[in-house]
Order: sequence, then C-alpha cells, then structure tokens
Amino acid sequence: MSRHARSGCKKSFALQYGLLRAIAIFACFIVAFFSTGCGQHSGDKIVVGSKNFTEQIVLAELFAQQIEAHSALRVERRVNLGGTMICQQALVAGKIDLYPEYTGTALTAVLNDPPQNDPSAVFQRVQQEYRARFGVEVLPPLGFNNTFALVVRGEDALKLHLRTISDIASDAPHWRAGFGYEFMERPDGYRGWVAAYHLQFASEPKILDLGLLYRALADRQVDIVAGNSTDGVIAALGMVVLQDDRHYFPPYEAVPLVRRSTLDRHPEVRKALAALTGKISEEEMRRLNLAVDGGYRDPADVVREFRSAKKF
Amino acid sequence: MNWFDFLLRNRSEVLARSVEHLGLVAASMGIALLIGLPLGIALVRREQAQRWVLGAANIVQTIPSLALFGFLIPVPWIGGVGASTAIVALALYALLPILRNTCTGIAGVDPAVIEAARGMGMTERQLLWQVQLPLAAPVLLAGIRVATVISIGVATIAAAIGAGGLGVFIFRGVAMVNNQVILAGAIPAALLAVVVDLSLGAFQRSLAQR
Amino acid sequence: MPSVVELSDGLQNGYVLQTRGLTYRLPAGATLVSDLTLSVGKGETLVLLGRSGSGKTTTLKLINRLLEPSEGEILVSGRSTASWDPIQLRRGIGYVIQDTGLFPHWTVEKNVALVPKLERWSSKRIRARVIEMLELVGLPPAEFARRRPSELSGGQKQRVGVARALAADPPILLMDEPFAALDPVTRAELQREFRSLATRLEKTIVFVTHDVREALLLGTRIALLDRGRLIGTYSPQEFLDSTEPHVRAFVASLQAVEGLDQMQ
Repeated sequence: MSRHARSGCKKSFALQYGLLRAIAIFACFIVAFFSTGCGQHSGDKIVVGSKNFTEQIVLAELFAQQIEAHSALRVERRVNLGGTMICQQALVAGKIDLYPEYTGTALTAVLNDPPQNDPSAVFQRVQQEYRARFGVEVLPPLGFNNTFALVVRGEDALKLHLRTISDIASDAPHWRAGFGYEFMERPDGYRGWVAAYHLQFASEPKILDLGLLYRALADRQVDIVAGNSTDGVIAALGMVVLQDDRHYFPPYEAVPLVRRSTLDRHPEVRKALAALTGKISEEEMRRLNLAVDGGYRDPADVVREFRSAKKF
Repeated sequence: MNWFDFLLRNRSEVLARSVEHLGLVAASMGIALLIGLPLGIALVRREQAQRWVLGAANIVQTIPSLALFGFLIPVPWIGGVGASTAIVALALYALLPILRNTCTGIAGVDPAVIEAARGMGMTERQLLWQVQLPLAAPVLLAGIRVATVISIGVATIAAAIGAGGLGVFIFRGVAMVNNQVILAGAIPAALLAVVVDLSLGAFQRSLAQR
Repeated sequence: MPSVVELSDGLQNGYVLQTRGLTYRLPAGATLVSDLTLSVGKGETLVLLGRSGSGKTTTLKLINRLLEPSEGEILVSGRSTASWDPIQLRRGIGYVIQDTGLFPHWTVEKNVALVPKLERWSSKRIRARVIEMLELVGLPPAEFARRRPSELSGGQKQRVGVARALAADPPILLMDEPFAALDPVTRAELQREFRSLATRLEKTIVFVTHDVREALLLGTRIALLDRGRLIGTYSPQEFLDSTEPHVRAFVASLQAVEGLDQMQ
C-alpha cells in the first residue's frame, strides 16, 4: 500500500519524477475529459476521490457516508484514481473535492521535501504549504499511521515480551529477517533502521515479494518482516506490530485533503469530517482492510457497519 | 543517465546476477529433464495416464508464480524461502513442454521401424536408447529449447522469493519507481533468452542434419 | 534357453516349424487367426496367401511372438516356443516387412549389422559378414555401406532389409509382403533373385503375400487363408488345379490379368 503512497522521495529520482508528473498530467486530462462533473461544479454535489488501493477506497467511502449522513449534499464517488499525482491534480483542478492522503507522502512526493520524523512538524508544514500553494485544507489526522511496520509472530511477542523495536536487540542476532525490495532500497528503510536501533541479524535479510513476507513469517521461514502498518493480514494471522519507539520511520498519518472553496461553500463538510478526527486506530484500519481484502466484502457495507459501531 | 550507463557502472553485479540467473535456469531445467524425460517415456504407451499427467502439467502452468511460491513455502525439504523454492517452481513450469514433446516425439517414430526393431530381437531398453530416443531427439530438443527460453523469462520472478537472479533489478526498480534499474534486469534477461534460443536452435539444426 | 546355434542344430530333421491349433483373439473378442495348423520344412518356402484381413500378418507375428497366441502353440523342431525367451527367439528368426523398417539414423552397414551386434559378435566378424550380406543381395559394399536409408531406392531398401534379416544366419525367415510396395519391374527382379537365394540358403521361410502370382512363383507350398482360417495347403500345381471355391477365386483373378495358359 505504502508503495503507492510514498513514491519519489529520493533526489536521484528527480528525472523519473518529472516523467511521472508528465504522465500524471496527461492522465488528468483524460480523467477530466471523461468526467461528467466537469469544471467548477456548484450547487449541492460533492465529489470524493481516492487512489487505487483498498485502504483508500475504504476511507473515501467513509468520507462519503459521513457527508451524506451529516448534510443534505449529494456525494459522488470517484475512486480508484491511479496514484498520488492524479489525485493531487484532480483536486487542484476541482475535479474532485476531497480525497484521503498521508502526511509523509504529501511532504515528499508532492512538496518534494526531504523526509522528517516529527509528526506534528510534518503536519504543520504540509498544512501551510497546501493552503498557500493549492488552496487545499489539510484536516486533522484520522488517527492511524500507514508506515513501514516491523512485524513478529504473536507467540514470539508473548514469549519474549516484545513490544517495541528496541526490545528485539538481544534476540535479533539469532533471527532471520525477511524484507521487501522497497524496504531494502528506500532511504527511510533498512539501512537507516538497523543503524538507528543498532541491530544485527543472524544472516543477510531474505528479500521477498511483499505478498510472500507474511506467509514466510507464519511458516517460521523468517522471524521478523517489514510490512505496512495497516495490512489486514497482520490481525488475521495474530501477528504483532512492534512500536517504533525511537521514531525512526517518518510519519504517514492519514488525513482528509479538501478544497478550500468547497469548505467555504459547504461548512457542514468540515463538521462531518471533524467527527472522524483521531477516531481510527491502526488496528481498526487493519480490520477494515481485512474485511474488504480477505472477506471479499463490499467496502460500503464494511464502512456502514464500522460507522454504526463507532456511532459517527 | 540511461540504462546502458547504469548497466556499465553496475556491470559486476549485473554479471553476478546473470550467472545466478543461469544457475537457477540450469538447475530447474536439470530437474525438469530428470523427471520429464523418464515420465514422458513411461507415458508413451499409456494413453489414459498420459491425458491425466499432461492435464495436471497444464494446470500447473496456469498457476501464477507468486501463488506457487506461496504454496511451496511451508513444504518441507523442497520449499521454504530461497533458491530451492524458485527452482522447484521453475522446474514445474518447464515440465509441460518437456513431457509433451517427449510423448509426441516418441509416438511420432515410424511404427514400421519399431516393428522391425522388435522383430529383430531388440529388447525394450535397446529399442528405447538406440531407436526411439535418437529418432525423437529433434522433437525432444525443440521441447527443451522452448522450456529453457520460457524458464529464462520466468526465472526473473525468483527474486520474489529471495532466490536472486536478474529479477532482483526488476523488483528493485519497481519498488523505487526507477526504469533504469528495471531495464538493467530486463534487458540482460532478454539477451540471455535470445542467445540461448539461438544456440539451442543451431544445435537442433546440426542434429537434424546428421 | 536355446541359443541361435541350438536352434540351428535342432532344425536338421523333418518339419522344423509347426503351428498347432494356433488361435489369436483380440481382447474385444474378434478372432483374427483361428485354429491354424501348419508345418514348414527346411529349405521350404511356405507362402501364406490371402486377402487383406485374412490373418496372414498376425500369423507371422505369432510365430516370432510379437503377439502371444490365445490358444494353440508354435513348435520349432518339435519343441514349443512358449517357454523360450522371445528376444532370443526373434534373433534366431529373420524378419522382413513391407515398409522395410530400416533405422533412418543408421547407415546401411549398421542396419545390416543389427542382429550380429545384438548377439555381440566381434567387430571383425561383423564387418566381414556385412560385406558378405551386401554382396549377397547385390549391393556393392564400397558404394552402399556408408549410405543412409534415405539415400536408397525402394528396391535397394528392401535388399538391405533382406540382408539385415539374414545377417545372423537365422534358420527361419519370416517375410511380410516384402515386395508389395515396389514397382513391377523392380519387384520381378527381386522376386527372381529371392527365388535363387532361397534355394541356395536352405532356410525355412514363411512368406506372406496377397499376390497369387507371387505365391505361385516363390512358394514351394501355398497355404490359403480366409478370415483367419486355413482353407488348405497346396503345391503350386495343386493350387492351379484345385476346385475349392476360394482357390478358384484367386486363380480366376490371375486369369483376368494375364491368362491361365501363359502361367501354365
């Protein structure tokens, strides 16, 4: 998931990034061309967008239901847009009114800033810049952080009393690690991580495809893996996410991005979304993702149940 | 910087990964041949069993490699994480063309030749080694050629299970959104496939001329 | 288990190859050969004559045990072959088939040397024997030994087939329409040569054909088969004189082609 969420944060990617942006702009034209709600739509319609993976679709649905429940507005869902760049361009151009984003992604992929570790500093910086440059409001975080997650088997966590990443320092030397290519290569990934926590493993990490990591962990082929903190399978397989107690990983807090003009015209949207602030934990997001991915359920149903349970 | 410069600057790793890649292909092809040839031979005169086995090999062919890796991780001895799983999966994929061409190659030998060989007092083993296999060799080799070229392509997926090979560049490049890195894996893999195909083709022709 | 030599030794007296009540049924139930009793002596050429599907080829395959009889037995020198090793038996029985079945990946020389090689003769003896055989069938070894079957005419291929069958000097020779696929001129030539060869070599020969003219020309005796049953065994003259309806039908076909008078 975070593969989509956090792209292009290394300087040497600048060229690539330019190309990506060109493609993204072109794609926006296409989106715009085929959109029914073209241009500055007025009146009582709100368009909610999302990127093209489960968590984004669930969050967009949550925003949509929330607005429908707390206002008389009609909500159009324009989900599955192909990535950060397309959502950003669509938002700025007014093709969509809001979409869920992650603060770290906004900072590195959209604003081209280097990664930072302090969540509130990142949030403030993103909020300021978006307001000034794009006329977009960054609403307060929903509560969960979708970042790299170091995951161990639940039984090991229990037996060895593991809660934080620091706790594994003494066990790591006889552990085998399994990591994805992204974790190995990214500047905020493996190299910096072992340095920050002074870790050493029994052998070089096994480098696996993300989808196979959890399987290898469950089958005891490896003892620790790096996934994404909101991956649904973590809960399903009874695994435990270790806390990043030294705040090594940059924050990727989920936030709603909404057009300023939309909020001015319909203040009830801000009110409706404010009810969600700080209300979704990583654990809950994992369960929502699992219900859709693992349970093959309709995101709308999953969100409806979640909203009634949480009394939003 | 284009992909070629990238290739030049990382030539030692590209070379090492190419060797690793060929190693994976060679090991899996070896296993596929060790299983496929005897099995194909055993199936030549058992039509019912042949249908079942070829059907099974066909189904294996359609399993996506990531799913196959997933199935193989918990299997003791042959599974796990690393080269063994990748080799087993690649061998399974190579089995179908080898099996099929073994069966059709041997079944395609002139029945009169077989009748004469039996009638002259050749044992089944002599018939197989001195008559059926040499005459089926061009078809057999065509199957091996197809299987090898496919293997070189499919072996890039071995990087998903930590087995190395040129797929490492492809996975790395995808993770970093860097086309140069992807091409540093994809282009050598394509070149390997072309070179191996051409040389096996030349070998096949020289065999046919004899 | 008797070797080729033993087999040869046993062929000295009386009838050497006999079938007794030989019957072959397919698993599905159709009977291809039914209660066939025949005997062939040394130096004799017994022609099995019949239309397609009369069981001629099946009978040959029962003799060299490419097929196993459902009932009845085959005797060589009075001993049943059922208990013999079929591989060893076949090496003592020369076999020539219509499509020659030469190994396309081997030279003429290697093809002819097949059975001696299987019998582990010394390479010197094999080489001498191959030269002898090629000369016997009229193919100059210097010219033909190194050729491959694809470089031979149909007649030449069949000559190699005969040389291959005779190479290990088997006492019994089975021939399944060996000349049927050849053009008439070549066929006549090979038939003529075969006749003199058969007289000279003193083999026990079973020769299958559907060509009554060939049967009369080559057979010392003719066994007429119809739908798996033996109609009767005749000398060529007896065959021409017989009033048996099946025999009459064959003789009539001969008459239609070239006239009975000429043949007589």
